[in-house]
Amino acid sequence: MAAITIENVGKTYAGGVPAVQGIDLNIRDGEFVVLVGPSGCGKSTLLRMIAGLEEITEGTVRIGDRVVNRLEPAERDIAMVFQNYALYPHMTVRQNLSYGLKNRGTPRDEIVRRVDEAARILEIGAYLDRKPRALSGGQRQRVAMGRAIVREPSAFLFDEPLSNLDAKLRVTMRGEIRTLQRRLGTTSVYVTHDQLEAMTMADRLVVLRQGRIEQVGTPLDVYRNPVSTFVAQFIGSPSMNLMSGTVRAGEVRVADAVYPAPGVPDGAVTVGLRPEDFALVPGGARAGMPARLVNIEELGSQRLGYFRVGGETVVASFPAGQVLSTEMTLYPDLSRLHLFGADERRIDPAPLRAGAV
Amino acid sequence: MVENHRWLDVLAHLTLILGVVIVAFPVYIAVVASTHEPADFVSGLIPLLPGDNAVATYASVLEGGVSSQMSVPILTMLKNSLIMAVLIAVGKIVISVLSAYAIVYFRFPFRQLAFWMIFVTLMLPVEVRIVPTFQVVADLGMLNSYAGLTIPLIASATATFLFRQVFLTIPDELMEAARIDGAGPMKFFRDILLPLSRTNIAALFVILFIYGWNQYLWPILITTDAGFYTIVAGIKRMADVVDSEPLWNYIMATAVLAMLPPVIVVIAMQRLFVKGLVETEK
Amino acid sequence: MQTKRTIFGNRWLPYLLLAPQLAVTVIFFLWPAGQAVWQSFLREDAFGLKTSFVGLSNYTRLFDNAEYINALKVTLVFSVSTAALALISSLLLALALDRTIRSSRVYTTLLVWPYAVAPAIAGVLWWFIFNPTIGIMPYLLERVGYDWNHALQKGDAMALVIIAAAWKQISYNFLFFVAGLQSIPASMREAAAIDGAGPVKRFWTITLPLLSPTTFFLLVVNVVYTMFDTFAVIDATTGGGPAQATMILVYKVYDDGFIGLNLGSSAAQSVILMGIVIALTIIQFRYVERRVTY
Repeated sequence: MAAITIENVGKTYAGGVPAVQGIDLNIRDGEFVVLVGPSGCGKSTLLRMIAGLEEITEGTVRIGDRVVNRLEPAERDIAMVFQNYALYPHMTVRQNLSYGLKNRGTPRDEIVRRVDEAARILEIGAYLDRKPRALSGGQRQRVAMGRAIVREPSAFLFDEPLSNLDAKLRVTMRGEIRTLQRRLGTTSVYVTHDQLEAMTMADRLVVLRQGRIEQVGTPLDVYRNPVSTFVAQFIGSPSMNLMSGTVRAGEVRVADAVYPAPGVPDGAVTVGLRPEDFALVPGGARAGMPARLVNIEELGSQRLGYFRVGGETVVASFPAGQVLSTEMTLYPDLSRLHLFGADERRIDPAPLRAGAV
Repeated sequence: MVENHRWLDVLAHLTLILGVVIVAFPVYIAVVASTHEPADFVSGLIPLLPGDNAVATYASVLEGGVSSQMSVPILTMLKNSLIMAVLIAVGKIVISVLSAYAIVYFRFPFRQLAFWMIFVTLMLPVEVRIVPTFQVVADLGMLNSYAGLTIPLIASATATFLFRQVFLTIPDELMEAARIDGAGPMKFFRDILLPLSRTNIAALFVILFIYGWNQYLWPILITTDAGFYTIVAGIKRMADVVDSEPLWNYIMATAVLAMLPPVIVVIAMQRLFVKGLVETEK
Repeated sequence: MQTKRTIFGNRWLPYLLLAPQLAVTVIFFLWPAGQAVWQSFLREDAFGLKTSFVGLSNYTRLFDNAEYINALKVTLVFSVSTAALALISSLLLALALDRTIRSSRVYTTLLVWPYAVAPAIAGVLWWFIFNPTIGIMPYLLERVGYDWNHALQKGDAMALVIIAAAWKQISYNFLFFVAGLQSIPASMREAAAIDGAGPVKRFWTITLPLLSPTTFFLLVVNVVYTMFDTFAVIDATTGGGPAQATMILVYKVYDDGFIGLNLGSSAAQSVILMGIVIALTIIQFRYVERRVTY
């Protein structure tokens, strides 16, 4: 078990292209941190730098109290689970699990004990003597986990480990991984491009964009207070609605409605509202937005209405039975109204934040 | 099959049977000839049906020393051929698999140059540089030795490219997982890469064994000491007799013995052989 | 050039791994090839006492030399005929095999083994069959009024080496043609059949065009084979005779270098041959991109 400290870490490829820049991150002992972002944001590169598979060109990475920049992957006391599992195809499950221990000169009976223990935890005991070829996707995934567990490392590194599974199995496995991690208490860094996976699994989320950290926080914190339009749109499904508005004299005008925005400087802003933050009856907000219904998507537990509001398309979610008509008025929950400046950064009007309206 | 044309099917079988007959005909003649006594050839026509002298012919051929034409026992030649074929096949595989590993899994100065140097050997078959290569081998004192027979032939661009291709298809993560599991370069090579390439190695071995066994020009140049004759190169020396009519039954028995090992290898390992052949040309 | 995403960081190990291959390459390939180029500019006097630099004279002499021009012509005739014979007969066999799905494995086994027969042995076998005194073929030919003697008649000698060389190459071509045919989707031929094309028409309009990458690849391989690998066939049958009728370029390099001991000329011939191989290799790598895959 160990904390991972990342200080001002950067990676520039041979051609001078920066992949990751100025990353500062403290991962606490036993914490489950998810690196999330669209492809090309540098999340895998960062993970692979922690693992020692990519050279660190700037900054330092510390695992426990050791600076590991110059250490071989094997010397860093980490274990990694790969997207394609990377099981050795010519070895049996047992051999796959023991290979790393054998290379470290672990005594025979200790290897047997640990492999059996891992097999018991992961319920893979029945196919210890099979080759990976003869296993299903989910079973291979467990073996890959097993290979990480037997090492009893200071940290687990996961590189999109569930991407190759079908949707249903993915849901099961993410629960299993989380349960297992809590039980073992091993510090974990998990990379995914799937925001739902990130939300459901993380103790803390790290949203990356173009090689830099955009936001760090608990899933709910990031969901409720996205620091930028990028995070606002990336986290949450369906995405947050972003509408253009203008602020004048402490009020924001959006889609013919006016809402208080005290202390916000005049000018163009982006107004963000999550689909679930609309009501059909006036609540806190007196002013509604006239909306025309264009499409309905049934999700079973709820229904999504697609509206034309002003010149823009807005998605709102409602309980399953909610009746929707063609012309209606949408009333936003003002305590959940987000404002972003021209630089796409969040602006917090003090009274709104306090929930005074 | 698109439609049923009976005559086409019949024609197809006839073509194939004719092909098989033509392909087998020279070998049949050779086998038949090897079962006769020398006297049977005086009549002026090759016998077309097997005789009853097979055991005697093969026994004396293998032991050798029957006449002046047979100064070396065929058994010795077979042994030399086997040593040469195995050394060439193993040598080519070993040095190619090592260089492919270096080229694929390492980045180092002059990598490109090394790759091109290996590539160039494709364009320099021994036949076009016979004289100077012979001189080099002679200068190194490697005439009449197994080293001289094999080492100059074991550079192999085709085998290197094949292994490079195989390695490139092995997922990167396997090497990364192995590194995290504490395997260094040579351990990874031995524990992961070689076992994963073993069918390619076997297929290549079949092809290269045949290549080595069938060498002709090189052994003729390099060996003057009869103790190092290979069977394929030696048969010509047997047939080249000026003073008397060749001993046909012995020559043909030798020919049969010379083709038997590689033919058996091809037939027994047809699947591997086809795989090796098609893949080395990729 | 492609490598892996992560690589091992060892500094000296890759050189060590490459050392054996590169040592053999330099000592037995590059150095001799360089020697051949160097020697091609030199000439020894009649007593072998003095060697002088003669520039391109060895080359110009070659092209004034009737024997060398003859060897060029012989090589051309031999290569084209052998390649044509080996390609056409193996294509016929592959087409036939493509129609006989059930027994194809047996036929394949019976047809591929000559690949394993050494060219020298192939030469010896056919040399025996065509032996003017006791061979079966001259006996049969005599019946129809032809007096075969490849030891004396140039045409007979050429025919003998072509047959022996083509016989040996059929199995190789056959395997690649079979693979090529199998890679043509059945739906394409079915579509043509529905469009009313008969078997013969289908062959010319569908099969042959789709097989052309395979055919071109094999053509290059066959030319390389006939130019270089057939040394043993020639040596085991005609020895380049009679009267140089089967003296192909490769055989002449050997003959001039080892028998005639004309090193300068032999070296110049080697260099020309290298040029031909380099050209063929480039053709093979540049234009034969689409390879047959099983």
